[in-house]
Amino acid sequence: MSVLTERRPLGDSAKAWALNAPAITVIALLVAYPIGYSFYVSLQRNNLKRPRAKRFIGFDNYKSLLSDDAFLSALKVSAVFVLVVLGLTVILALILALVLNERFRGRGLLLSLALLPWAMPGVVNGLMWRTIFDAKTGALNGLMMQLGLIDTYQAWLTSATGAFLFTALAQVWNTLPFSVIILLAGLSTIPSELYDAATVDRAGAFRRFTQVTVPWLLHPLLIVLILETMNAFRAFDTIYVLTGGGPGDATTTIALLDVQTVLTFTDFGLGSAYAWVITAITLIISVGYIGLLYRKGNFEV
Amino acid sequence: MELNRRQVLKLAGLGLGATATPGLLAACSNDTSGGGAGDGSVKFEGWDYEATLVQQNLDRFTKTSNIKVNYTPITSAQYVQKVVAEFTGGGGPDALYVYDDSLAAWVEGDYLQPIDGLPGVDEVYAAIFPGNAEAMTYQGKRYGLPYYTDSNCLIYNAEILSKAGFSKPPASLEELEAQAAKIKSMGLLEHPIGLPAQLSDTWWAWVWGLVFSSGGNMFDDQQAPIMNTSDTVTKDVLTWLQNAANKSKVLDPASLQLLPVPVDNAMKANRYAFTIGARYALRDYNDPQKSKAAGKMKMALVPSLDGKVHGTISNTRMYGLAKDTEVKDNAFKLLTYLGGLGEDKTPYTAKFWFQQRGLGFAYKDLAKDPEITASLKKFADPAIYAQLAEIARPRNVLGVAWYTEFETEMHKVVQGVLSNQVQPSAAVASLAQSAETLKKKYS
Repeated sequence: MSVLTERRPLGDSAKAWALNAPAITVIALLVAYPIGYSFYVSLQRNNLKRPRAKRFIGFDNYKSLLSDDAFLSALKVSAVFVLVVLGLTVILALILALVLNERFRGRGLLLSLALLPWAMPGVVNGLMWRTIFDAKTGALNGLMMQLGLIDTYQAWLTSATGAFLFTALAQVWNTLPFSVIILLAGLSTIPSELYDAATVDRAGAFRRFTQVTVPWLLHPLLIVLILETMNAFRAFDTIYVLTGGGPGDATTTIALLDVQTVLTFTDFGLGSAYAWVITAITLIISVGYIGLLYRKGNFEV
Repeated sequence: MELNRRQVLKLAGLGLGATATPGLLAACSNDTSGGGAGDGSVKFEGWDYEATLVQQNLDRFTKTSNIKVNYTPITSAQYVQKVVAEFTGGGGPDALYVYDDSLAAWVEGDYLQPIDGLPGVDEVYAAIFPGNAEAMTYQGKRYGLPYYTDSNCLIYNAEILSKAGFSKPPASLEELEAQAAKIKSMGLLEHPIGLPAQLSDTWWAWVWGLVFSSGGNMFDDQQAPIMNTSDTVTKDVLTWLQNAANKSKVLDPASLQLLPVPVDNAMKANRYAFTIGARYALRDYNDPQKSKAAGKMKMALVPSLDGKVHGTISNTRMYGLAKDTEVKDNAFKLLTYLGGLGEDKTPYTAKFWFQQRGLGFAYKDLAKDPEITASLKKFADPAIYAQLAEIARPRNVLGVAWYTEFETEMHKVVQGVLSNQVQPSAAVASLAQSAETLKKKYS
């Protein structure tokens, strides 16, 4: 007993490991293991319809993507979708954040309203927009009829371009508030002295925006770009509910194709490969953003 | 607080305990999968259509047989995925609903066992329509007893047709377009034809119905695609659809935004004169409690390219027996009660479903049952109903593992045709190409 009690207490490093062990174990089991396992599955021919054909095939699933028309088409749709959603989100979020950064009557109410869409789950968002775009009873048709802009009700989601743009719009509506919060937080950190100094130097509103506001917003903007790119690449629920990926392949994004491949076609091998490609693409883009904006932000600020 | 090594060892022990806990919890759970409850009870799963009625019927079974049934209804939209997940992870049901679309894959996946040679199976297969027997057979073995079946028909609003001066439904696609055009020109309806053509996970029976009604097929008996070579019906049907949607504009362009339920609602609100759908839909369409068009909705054979009678498409939903069930005898007794013949040689449950909800039956003799006929007359013409059952046949491509992928691809191609982005000749070429690619992928 005396030998045991005389043992030295643990060092800081061991204590840190001991205290973090439960969290590390949970993360390893719930996050790291599924991620690692999905990569392992992506290296297999693994379709639940054909369990006897299951086997390790190395990178064949990844190689097959190069000649997979469905994948290439979905990748193209996803890329354009990301560009449109990201472009609209950044521009609208910046405008809204600049407006909400000013002091005016009703600002609190406007802020609450602007944040409302964020509270809405993607599926509900899709259902709401489906009701609005409905060809027979949709609010959009009703509004445009009342304004005299159309003679008869239109089926907005039946043309490839229409479906794509309206789906992108629905996605932007859902994710815009998050970007607004981030940019608004960034705007609130800009010292007012900088604007005073710029005004003394006879800088106009546009110059103050480009020379003071934008450099200070580069870091928040970086966060917005990274997260919204990921969101747009992974967009599934709104698109699934609104168009199901149609008409034709017009709104079949890579995330939609992935879910379809795994859950409808039960092809877990190929579906996991799709998922890893999405991960790799968003990672590359994120690293690109950091390279472009993070250092630049530091330097200029 | 200082931690010594002994305390660290204790914490590590707790960590291991926590890791083992889920296993212990699982062992203590009340999972009765595979008849594991030990009392011979049968774990039974199905999609959630009329779960209360299902339970009511199962209670009757338990009362008469003394076999307990643990019934779990699963939401329809995720039925296939959840069943696959259950069988894959272990703990699947003993008996379950099976779509004819899923049969081949579930047999290949070792989820189901054949029921050949079990009591009464031969008798059942002799008593049902050949199309249903074919749909429940895979590679020469029988895997199911029939739950319900239905075939596709033309559903029309007789009052709207009458206002346009037509006393008979169209027999050919040309007539259908002409009647719809007259309805349109008279200002009765902007788009008289509506079809559910939004992408979804469910099959598009109406496309198959149009092809089969004109005597065509997309595949030969060896499941090789013929829609681009020896069989021109698919191309001609697609051409008709494209013209109806884009030239005469009698087919509602909003169809691309419509799932089956909105089409049903539009029919019940007199907003379409025609659609192509399952026979049992007429029961709802003609129910005054649910439909403004009640009493006006009629069924006819699906119009064909040449106006002659060729056929239509049928689907079969069945009860299957799990391969690994530990309560095979009890599970099969349940299957027989639900899908087979009773001691009086009548299919009790099939009749129950028809009377309760108008679900189609696979048993030929039920068509002559006076109670069935009387009930049928309330919403449909028994003669046409029976004729559709006689001429209906299943998709001959159900037996391939890649069918689901092909069906999904077909939806996209048909959408392209309806929205005038793809020409019919390119559409059939694309379908044939897809089928060949899938065959290669699955070979």
